[in-house]
Amino acid sequence: MATREPETGWHGEDSDVNHLRGRAFEATCLAATAFGLVSVLLLLLFVANDAFRPFSADAGWLATYAATVLVPLAALAVYYYRLDEPAGEVAYVTSGLPVVGLLLTGGFAVLFIELLSVLEWFALLISLVVAGGLIAAHGRLRPKAALERLAVVLLAPIVTVFGLPPTSFNRFVTDTAAALGLDFGLYYRVISLREAIMMLPFVPTDWVMLLLTLVLPVAGAAGWFVEQRRESRRDGLAVVGLTTAVAVVGVVAGPLLGIGTDVWLLVVTFAVLPLGVYVEGVLRRGEGVRGLAFPVAAVLGVVVGSVVTGALGFAGPDPWLDWGFLTSATSRTAADAGIYPAMVGSVMMIIVIVLTTFPVGVGAAIYLEEYAPSQGLMGKFVTLIEINIGNLAGVPSVVYGLLGLALFIRVLQWPQGSVIVAGLAVGLLILPIVIISAQEAIRSVPDSFRQASYGMGATRWQTIRQVVLPEALPGILTGTILALGRAIGETAPLLMIGAAASVRLAPNSFFDVASMMPRQIFSWSSELDPSFRHGVLAAGVITLLAVLLVMNATAIVIRNRYQRTG
Amino acid sequence: MTENEMTSNESTEPTPSTETAASSPDPSGDPLIDQSIDVEGTDANAGETGKPVIESRDLNVFYGETQALQGIDLAIPEKQVTAMIGPSGCGKSTFLRCINRMNDLIDAARVEGDLYFEGKNVYDADVDPVALRRRIGMVFQHPNPFPKSIYDNVAYGLRIQDQTEDIDDKVETALKRAALWDEVKDQLDKSALDLSGGQQQRLCIARAIAVDPDVILMDEPASALDPIATSKIEDLIEELAEEFTVVIVTHNMQQAARISDKTAVFLTGGELVEFDDTDKIFENPDSQRVEDYITGKFG
Repeated sequence: MATREPETGWHGEDSDVNHLRGRAFEATCLAATAFGLVSVLLLLLFVANDAFRPFSADAGWLATYAATVLVPLAALAVYYYRLDEPAGEVAYVTSGLPVVGLLLTGGFAVLFIELLSVLEWFALLISLVVAGGLIAAHGRLRPKAALERLAVVLLAPIVTVFGLPPTSFNRFVTDTAAALGLDFGLYYRVISLREAIMMLPFVPTDWVMLLLTLVLPVAGAAGWFVEQRRESRRDGLAVVGLTTAVAVVGVVAGPLLGIGTDVWLLVVTFAVLPLGVYVEGVLRRGEGVRGLAFPVAAVLGVVVGSVVTGALGFAGPDPWLDWGFLTSATSRTAADAGIYPAMVGSVMMIIVIVLTTFPVGVGAAIYLEEYAPSQGLMGKFVTLIEINIGNLAGVPSVVYGLLGLALFIRVLQWPQGSVIVAGLAVGLLILPIVIISAQEAIRSVPDSFRQASYGMGATRWQTIRQVVLPEALPGILTGTILALGRAIGETAPLLMIGAAASVRLAPNSFFDVASMMPRQIFSWSSELDPSFRHGVLAAGVITLLAVLLVMNATAIVIRNRYQRTG
Repeated sequence: MTENEMTSNESTEPTPSTETAASSPDPSGDPLIDQSIDVEGTDANAGETGKPVIESRDLNVFYGETQALQGIDLAIPEKQVTAMIGPSGCGKSTFLRCINRMNDLIDAARVEGDLYFEGKNVYDADVDPVALRRRIGMVFQHPNPFPKSIYDNVAYGLRIQDQTEDIDDKVETALKRAALWDEVKDQLDKSALDLSGGQQQRLCIARAIAVDPDVILMDEPASALDPIATSKIEDLIEELAEEFTVVIVTHNMQQAARISDKTAVFLTGGELVEFDDTDKIFENPDSQRVEDYITGKFG
């Protein structure tokens, strides 16, 4: 290459390259982003301020907690970020695990308080385990009988959980029993194992049943996990043994400290056990041990802060969103109002949605992606269906509310405003979203995996079951959880199907009339008392957002976890 | 693995190997004399090269309106390496995928004509393509192990075919035959995706031979690999031909010359132009077009 004269100026300011339009475009995009983010952030800050009212506290109270909690934690965070990243990871997990564990504990506590007794839970679980055992035994005894196996898989859970409907044979059995003076009050049907357990004259106490059905299985799973990880049977057994010991000790000692035995068992299962296993692992590896300082500092800070503020007589804030708000029902006075029944209503609605929409949506997605023809007249028909699923995803939610009203309440005569109607109406609303996101996840499984599987002589079912679904599952779960996040905030369908404006009691069954969080927030917005509109409403909104945040965080954790290993 | 010999011996009545497209009675003929006359009759080498296990008769394949294969007549001998070469889009991969009916998976593909595997037309209505593919394994162009552990990849075929007795031994044998055992024996639980490209392809070969098929189809198995990995795969293919019938599609003519016993040359338009012993094809092809292709004048 010949060297050119440097003063030709090809590289300088006077060249023909024009950056001006590009820079202006970049600046406009930045402004749009900043505008959107800042407005949402301001709105959130405004609502959070209303809900927590931090500035109703004494300046001394704020200063004390800033000094004991905020400053040390911020200092630790900076230290981890700059100098010790593994410790930062440990700090993150050890702070997050107890929160998740306590949330799960709360969920199960509400389940046992509102929905089913411990005995019902015990009977249900035992029945399901027996059904699983029957299926496994059949698989062992007759591995080749495919049709028979299908029947066993379908029938075993039904028989153990629900029993058999009235038939002439059952009539004969019941009549014979009645003639012998035995009356089960069951009238011509075979009772299920679940009902039989419920009728036992002698049942173990609640804590024994919880220990058997919740603590031991979870501890066993954790023990198995540890055994696999460390290849040490002793360590696995130690996990099971220690967990059981802590649980039993708590049952004996708990009442002395004022902790309910059931609550203690739940806390041990969901918070103490995972945290213990994780911390022990960190100590053993000796990597990032300093991260443990973070949760310790947080707890110490709160304790010291409360001692200091107590001693100096600083008054804390008077937030609308406090423990009382989360655990009590709505009331005529703003100070007593709470969101508990609406929260239980929302969670039960989500359960209905998960149980109905997830299987239907994923099933439809699998059919459309893996089985449906893509060529010819049928292929065109399938394309038409897919386009319309996309359209359905855009139909306004109030229309789905109307559909729910017409279908479930007018036609099926189910109780107006009940949990099941709300769940099905909102479930229909998110069904197209679930189908589309599941299709997306299934489509993203590389075709080469399917080719490899078919090339090995796998049937279509084996390919879907063993290759496509395991690969697509994280994507399907992520999409579904995000759709559930949309479902929990929907208000219009709840108004249309007549969900209660305010209820004093949480629903105890899926056919009870209930309120849900967005419906409750909506009715607070029209209260005359301004403290409802400003304070209670804000607290409700923050609660709803927190639930949403937890769900979305779960989706993100699932996605990241599987991306790393996949 | 003695079952393999058993299954091949109990194969159906020997089918006459008369349908080779263009064969020469004497491979050592004078190269200067044009011998392009089609000679119908028994292949001169049929006696020593084994009876045909796969035989196509007037096989046509269409993708929608486009014809991808035109009246292919071909007989692939047992326990030998048969290579298929030709320029891109000449239909050699399509032919390979006809053998184990992988073209069924493409909605637009339509197959006319007959293709016999051990004397049975695989396009008969009573043939289950799943059963067919359990006898005919396949290795693809790009290594495509499942995102499972190395062990689970090799065990996949055994599990879906319910051959779960002695599964550990079968996995080990397959990995040894695929010359991969020494490299992975301590990390069978690791994800197959952590292996290098060449190791992944040998894993795919191990996965295909674990279920002890009769035939292994390979669709450009080394085209995505570096030269060292390629030479390992080539050595492996030659060893495999002692126990399996291997049909390999390749772009690489030197590779075909090195490893195959028989070579089929497909040229543009989906025609089978010449099929004969590899030495004959590369030293003294009957067809001028084949000679032009092999010497690099086109394609």
